[in-house]
Amino acid sequence: MKKTVWFVAPLFVLSLSGCETYSLVQPGSNQVGAVTVTPQKSWNSASAMLTPSARRDSKTWTQDGLLLDRLMIIPDVPDGEAIFKSRDKSAALPVFRADMLPNEIEELVESSMAKMYGEGNAVLSTENLRPQKFGQHQGFMFEIDAAVSDSPDYRGIVGAIVIADRLNLVAFIAALPHYFDKHREAVERLIKTTVVRE
Amino acid sequence: MKYPRLLVCLLLGGAGNAIAASTDDEIQHKIPPGYEASEARDEQGLWMELRDYELALNKSALLVKDPELNNYINGIVCRVAGDYCNDFRVYLVRNSGFNASMTATGMMQIWTGLIVRSKSSDEIAAVIGHEIAHYTRMHTLERFRKIKSGSAAGSIIDIGIGILTGVPSPLAQSMVALNALAFNREQEQEADLLGAQLLAEASLDPHATYRVWENIIAEESAAAVKRRKPGMFSQTHPNAQTRVDVAKDWVNDRYGPPDQNIIADDAFVAILNKHYQTLMEDQIDTNRYGRTEELLQRHLEIGVEPGVVYYFYGEMFRQRGGTGDRQLAISAYRHSIETGAAPPDAFRNLGYLHLKDKDIQAARTNFKKFLDLEPNASDKAMIEFYLED
Repeated sequence: MKKTVWFVAPLFVLSLSGCETYSLVQPGSNQVGAVTVTPQKSWNSASAMLTPSARRDSKTWTQDGLLLDRLMIIPDVPDGEAIFKSRDKSAALPVFRADMLPNEIEELVESSMAKMYGEGNAVLSTENLRPQKFGQHQGFMFEIDAAVSDSPDYRGIVGAIVIADRLNLVAFIAALPHYFDKHREAVERLIKTTVVRE
Repeated sequence: MKYPRLLVCLLLGGAGNAIAASTDDEIQHKIPPGYEASEARDEQGLWMELRDYELALNKSALLVKDPELNNYINGIVCRVAGDYCNDFRVYLVRNSGFNASMTATGMMQIWTGLIVRSKSSDEIAAVIGHEIAHYTRMHTLERFRKIKSGSAAGSIIDIGIGILTGVPSPLAQSMVALNALAFNREQEQEADLLGAQLLAEASLDPHATYRVWENIIAEESAAAVKRRKPGMFSQTHPNAQTRVDVAKDWVNDRYGPPDQNIIADDAFVAILNKHYQTLMEDQIDTNRYGRTEELLQRHLEIGVEPGVVYYFYGEMFRQRGGTGDRQLAISAYRHSIETGAAPPDAFRNLGYLHLKDKDIQAARTNFKKFLDLEPNASDKAMIEFYLED
């Protein structure tokens, strides 16, 4: 009987916490794994249940709902791993390699996001790859565009830094035209606050 | 446009992954050109649903708008369709996968992945002929009626079993689903053979019917990551090898052996050359480099501009990233540049690879060449950062 309680109780707690869909993210310094960002306004952090393709240690925040905008903070991706996860073993997700240069990480994000929308359901392109300092570290930023079947078009901004052979990404994507334009300035500022712990 | 996958597979006459008739008899169309839905309520309802589906498709961001590419595909459709030409609205969809589909109302979808997988206009025509056959044989309506009548009978049997045994039974419904899938596979086979017949009537090569599937088998065997095979409960199409075997026998018996030399037609190669960059960038985004390599080999063989094919070999090797792939990518980009027809990006990506190899001088040379060719490149700041570094 005692064993049963010990077995059932965590499941019960888990099931309750699994019901929570969003939690509030306060403005100010927020740490997600090795990445710290400092938003100037509050965000809603989506639960893992709502973001099945997110890595376990990553966070997905939103202002107006995940279908309209999402900020993905993906820390500490080691060599050989994908930036998203998939239960489908035939998904052929591209993986990060420690020797990747900015152009290849830009391609990695483009291909990964195409998979996130469902292979064949979206056409993605990237542009404006440029250098960007994040704290003391040299990283880079670029923009991403997605035309998605049965959806509005999306645009996004991505910041990336590789430190100690690990990829750290902060990527925002939002529906065009309204939602991207509405959050662009705040998100660009937020991405530039990114600091990665060595 | 969000339909349960199995229902859509069952109702759209798709080429997807997939194929009966005696060799002697012509397969006859069941409807005349210009057909409209009969007064039957189920057919009227189906047409209404499909028209809604078409309205939604019309808004898709992935429709290809390029008039030349659309004219090329529409030209093949009309040649194969003959008198049925005006029955069809063709939607070319930007999707790197291999697929086409047809509805009872004459709405045909063709994915751009079909173009990069074909070796000739005849092979594109073979897939289109298959879809037209679905339409003229009224396969969608037949399937719809089969599922509907089977479901009703299955429900009554399951309720009866439930009352007699006291246990809820999904048995009859499952049998109905399996029966519908088998019916689907028969229709696919019939569409392959009528499609071959339509090709021959349009003075196109009916042997292209099974060559399309030989290409798919070659691509699948080259794949680093195999696609998940559909389970027995979702096999709406016969497997590719069965399609090759049945169609090959039927076409050879009926039309004689194929020509020994198969040459890609100029119109096909010209259209592929013109849209190659976009089509292959979509393929590269799939990260399916084994399949990409097989397609690139095919493109070199049929005469696609080698400078651009070698560039994509460089892209594929770089994406694969295995032992020795960096050197293979460098060779491929150099090969592309030597042809004089390399895309400017070949210089930039070669520059990045030299940077990895710490061959700074070669990196600088190629970055500078890239900026000479693309002075307003959107990643200019990144390239200049490395040039100044």
